[in-house]
Amino acid sequence: MTIIRKLTANFTEADVDDEIILMRLDNGELLSLTDTGAATWRLIDGRRDRRALVDALAAEYAADDGKIAREIGHLLRQLKEAGLIAES
Amino acid sequence: MSKTDAELLMERETRVRHGPVDLDVFGYTLQPGRSHIEADRFLLRTADGLSFHYRKGEGITISRRPGADCSEEQLWLNGSVYSAVACINGFVPIHASAVTHAGHVFAFTGPSGAGKSTLIAALGQRRLPMFCDDTLVLDLSDPDRIICLPGHKRLKLTADALELTGIEAGEKVGQDIDKYYASAVAGDVASPMPLAELLFLEQGASASIESLSGSERFMRTQDDHYTAHLFAGARQLDRAAQFAHRVRLARQIAMSRLVRPWDRERFHEGVELAARHVLAEKRL
Repeated sequence: MTIIRKLTANFTEADVDDEIILMRLDNGELLSLTDTGAATWRLIDGRRDRRALVDALAAEYAADDGKIAREIGHLLRQLKEAGLIAES
Repeated sequence: MSKTDAELLMERETRVRHGPVDLDVFGYTLQPGRSHIEADRFLLRTADGLSFHYRKGEGITISRRPGADCSEEQLWLNGSVYSAVACINGFVPIHASAVTHAGHVFAFTGPSGAGKSTLIAALGQRRLPMFCDDTLVLDLSDPDRIICLPGHKRLKLTADALELTGIEAGEKVGQDIDKYYASAVAGDVASPMPLAELLFLEQGASASIESLSGSERFMRTQDDHYTAHLFAGARQLDRAAQFAHRVRLARQIAMSRLVRPWDRERFHEGVELAARHVLAEKRL
């Protein structure tokens, strides 16, 4: 099982209304997460893998697993490239 | 009503004297048209021969080169210098003009020429007293709310704005500045008040007001590049602290976009909409 965890030393974050704003500490780059993006980010707790994230989100949004998996895959790729998460 | 600590602080720190200004105070000679802010000190040298130096606890010193345009002195004092003094003392200046209603401040911001002063003047004709013109200073010392400090009370309007609003022109702002001082028709307010909302002036086909989402509000906290630069220079916050500061502003300031047609004939549409929006505020 490949666990996804946040690289907390690399960013700072804040909730503003329902959105999450992340800032990379090395270059100040900002990322805003809304809706399923914000929900996914909140679910990343260092214990879940991709499958567990998809299951939790699909249950929360009563949505199709395939669509959720694609959205999560895209987001995780983006977060990984920005150095905000790691899979191990 | 007695003044708050914040008001007394700003009053004390903005006291002015005329005398020599050391243009090398930061270790190099500041060139005309430039300014420098660092920790407890600010230096400004205008292109027209005026120099301003402020140091925390010492007040403002102004030097005039012979032949300098003195009429512009007040303009610089009430704008850039006032903003810098505010930043150095922990306040947050915003390039905004504001009115009050129901014990709260409604501020309008936008780039130079966006029509901030003209709108405030027109809102005065709808019985909304002016709170400030051009520079709004925020006091963040109360963690639960943002308080606005009363600002300078003379509107600065272009000839076009005077014609549009029908307000009488006072003296000219500066020899080379095509603006005139004017009084707010509905009077002004001189006591601190909480900020109700910050509205961003934009152009569009029809008049509308739309609330900004959390991330939009966060991004807008950097819209005013000049004052953001001053604040960063004075407070010397690291990246994470700047982020926390912007998050606080985004969380605590309601923000909207006020879109108006950029057309003289339809100027009143934006004014009426803004007036209705402000007058709908019921808090006291």
